[in-house]
Amino acid sequence: MSETKGAPLSGTIMVVGGGISGLTTALEAAEVGYDVIIVEKNPYLGGRVAQLNQYFPKLCPPSCGLEINFRRIKDNPRIKFFTLAEVEKVDGKPGDYKVSIRLNPRYVNENCTGCNACTDACQAEISNEFNFGMDKHKGAYLPHEMAFPARYVISPQIIGTEDANRCKEACAYDAVDLEMSAKTIELNAGAIVWATGWEPYDAAKIENLGFGRYPNIITNMMLERLASKNGPTGGKILRPSDGTEPKSIAFVQCAGSRDENHLPYCSYICCMASLKHTTYIREQYPDAAVSIFYIDMRAPGYRYEKFYNTIKDDEKVTFIKGKVAAVEEASGDGITVTAEDTISGEKIRQTVDLVVLATGMQPSAAASKLPADLQFTEDGFVVNDFEKGGMFAAGCANRPADVMMSNQNATGMALKAIQTLVKR
Amino acid sequence: MSERFLIQPDLDFVKDIRALGGETLKKCYQCATCSVACPIAPDNKPFPRKEMIAASWGLKDKLVSSPDVWLCHNCGDCTSQCPRGANPGDVMAAIRAKAIDHYAVPQSVSKAVNDPKMLPLLAILPAIVFLVVGLVLQWLPTGSFEFLNFSPQRGDAGQIVHSNFFSHWLVDIIFIPLSIWAVAIFALALKRFVADIHANALAEGKTKKEKIEFKPFLASLVRVIPDILKHKKFSQCGENNNRATPHMMVLFSFIALAIVTGVFFVHLYILGWHGPYPQIHPFKILANIAGVALIVGGIMLYKQRLDKTDELSTYKDWYLLWIVIGLGVTGMLAQFTRLAGFEFLTYLIYFIHLMFVFHLFAFLPFSKLAHLVYRTVAMAYNDYSERESK
Repeated sequence: MSETKGAPLSGTIMVVGGGISGLTTALEAAEVGYDVIIVEKNPYLGGRVAQLNQYFPKLCPPSCGLEINFRRIKDNPRIKFFTLAEVEKVDGKPGDYKVSIRLNPRYVNENCTGCNACTDACQAEISNEFNFGMDKHKGAYLPHEMAFPARYVISPQIIGTEDANRCKEACAYDAVDLEMSAKTIELNAGAIVWATGWEPYDAAKIENLGFGRYPNIITNMMLERLASKNGPTGGKILRPSDGTEPKSIAFVQCAGSRDENHLPYCSYICCMASLKHTTYIREQYPDAAVSIFYIDMRAPGYRYEKFYNTIKDDEKVTFIKGKVAAVEEASGDGITVTAEDTISGEKIRQTVDLVVLATGMQPSAAASKLPADLQFTEDGFVVNDFEKGGMFAAGCANRPADVMMSNQNATGMALKAIQTLVKR
Repeated sequence: MSERFLIQPDLDFVKDIRALGGETLKKCYQCATCSVACPIAPDNKPFPRKEMIAASWGLKDKLVSSPDVWLCHNCGDCTSQCPRGANPGDVMAAIRAKAIDHYAVPQSVSKAVNDPKMLPLLAILPAIVFLVVGLVLQWLPTGSFEFLNFSPQRGDAGQIVHSNFFSHWLVDIIFIPLSIWAVAIFALALKRFVADIHANALAEGKTKKEKIEFKPFLASLVRVIPDILKHKKFSQCGENNNRATPHMMVLFSFIALAIVTGVFFVHLYILGWHGPYPQIHPFKILANIAGVALIVGGIMLYKQRLDKTDELSTYKDWYLLWIVIGLGVTGMLAQFTRLAGFEFLTYLIYFIHLMFVFHLFAFLPFSKLAHLVYRTVAMAYNDYSERESK
């Protein structure tokens, strides 16, 4: 792009959140000539998409979409990003914001070559949150194999222990810096796009669905990790209780969604997610039977409808119209789910090897309000106030959405941010 | 579509259900959580999901004739788990109120009993009946016999005798026809009710029995009565489990007081023993225990309803509880004031007590208390129908 043709460049766009929406906003703005700062709270970019096995619309592995974005970021000098960073405070007005950002210590500096020596040296193991606690990793670790930036992290949990010193000693590049501490920096931005994404709804809160009580009840996001090559089982979908291959699987749709006691709204993605998960299972286990208990199947649009119809044609997949409202453990670690089949009017008790709860998405802002003058819905989604301008929410911070919708929305918000700067 | 079915919605029925506490009805989106949440719904055609959609569509005939609405014990488990706040428990209660309404004739009485605006009139009605009947009888040439005496004498031992105020003849001239009235209305209602619930069960595939045979049906009735007395179903409830004990207290009090009434009736009319009976009389003791249990149970139920804000309590619920508590309190107070010798007070309270008894008998088939009969019959029918349960 030639500079002369460029728009009047003034100010910076800050993007809070480095998931698929944030990356999209950042790249769209930067590639037309604007300076962008990405603030990401994890030690890596990529967000929820990085945790998926495959994603819609083409059922690509996440490496497919994310790697090209990372490449674009690397190549674009207009984009700066901070990982392990959180926005603490936002002051100012559209066109002129002052943002305080807390940078948490990674304890590993840019000398890191990714040699794995620190991991080898470390003895302590901690719960792997990237895999939803289904396995453990060392106290010094690479968040996941395609983490970007590809730099190791030392968990605060081992700081001050012998392990931390062992890591430091093991590093041949002087990359481990145990003296690092959290600091707050202040940056200016003309516009801010909040792409803070979502959390899987806490399934343990759905008391009647037994998550946390029985090991063979997992969530849809846990299934993504189980099905992923870089997941805790190397991509094999296995029962958590005994590591065996499940022969029968039940999906519980609307687990904690469209439910006043939990998330009152439809999360949009869970029906398609379960249909997609059915393909994972059917590919790995051609004899396994899948039951999908639903209230309404929502497959919006022509393509999704087509996908749904393909799954419906599979004779190993049964759809039961009726929500699972009770679960109990059966012999051999199986789970018996109970629902009323509303078509026949009979109560069904089905015992399966594995139960997958199709839990919904809760905006990250629901747990802790974003530290800025924004409007929120009761559920914690940001309401975009285009009249006021200056700050916008993209992707799942704004509403439940799939990757495609998030990217469309994120592109639109890049434009809104640009307009804020140009109008000034 | 090979099968055609023309739905004939009764829109007034939908309105009535909503007015009777099923306001939230239309929020239901048929997820069927309720049918699973219910600890007592059978596997075959469980409730209350199907009742929710039928009520929403205004299918009155299907609902008032359903045995299932009576199998529901209003546990509230469905309501607490409902993802939409559609309160199926309240809707079921509203359908039951409509079913009582549907089967109790004359309809005008039913309307009056369930209309709070009519309460003042209904409240003084028994007083008027008593005074008018009393004065008319008094006016008849019956010699020195006093049916109604506004300056009653004390008994031989100087004790207060309530029947010197209202003669037991006057009381029974009114109450015996009233009990017959209640029984007759129930008999008429049950004839239709039993035929209807059987037709409903056949239509919905809940039974394979073609006809109702009297003897086996009676055997089913005998089988379910111990379960009812033990509150076997009621105690399976989750949410409203705490209601089972006070409900049991009230039920057993009524049974005990019915027995006491029967025994004293025999004392009076067959053995010719006049009251008041000594305080240590075994049936007097039973009556007093029952009286206390009635008051305590009634007040507990009242308080539980007040405390339970997520469940709707309507006029029909309160009316029944007022009657229960009123009966107990005035009965006990009439006795205490009589023993204490407060003449005016005790006659007044006794009079009020009789008014409550009047309500109990006269409006039993129209009030919520009719659940005693309908639920028992529906439970017996369910046993008889050999419907698949858990």
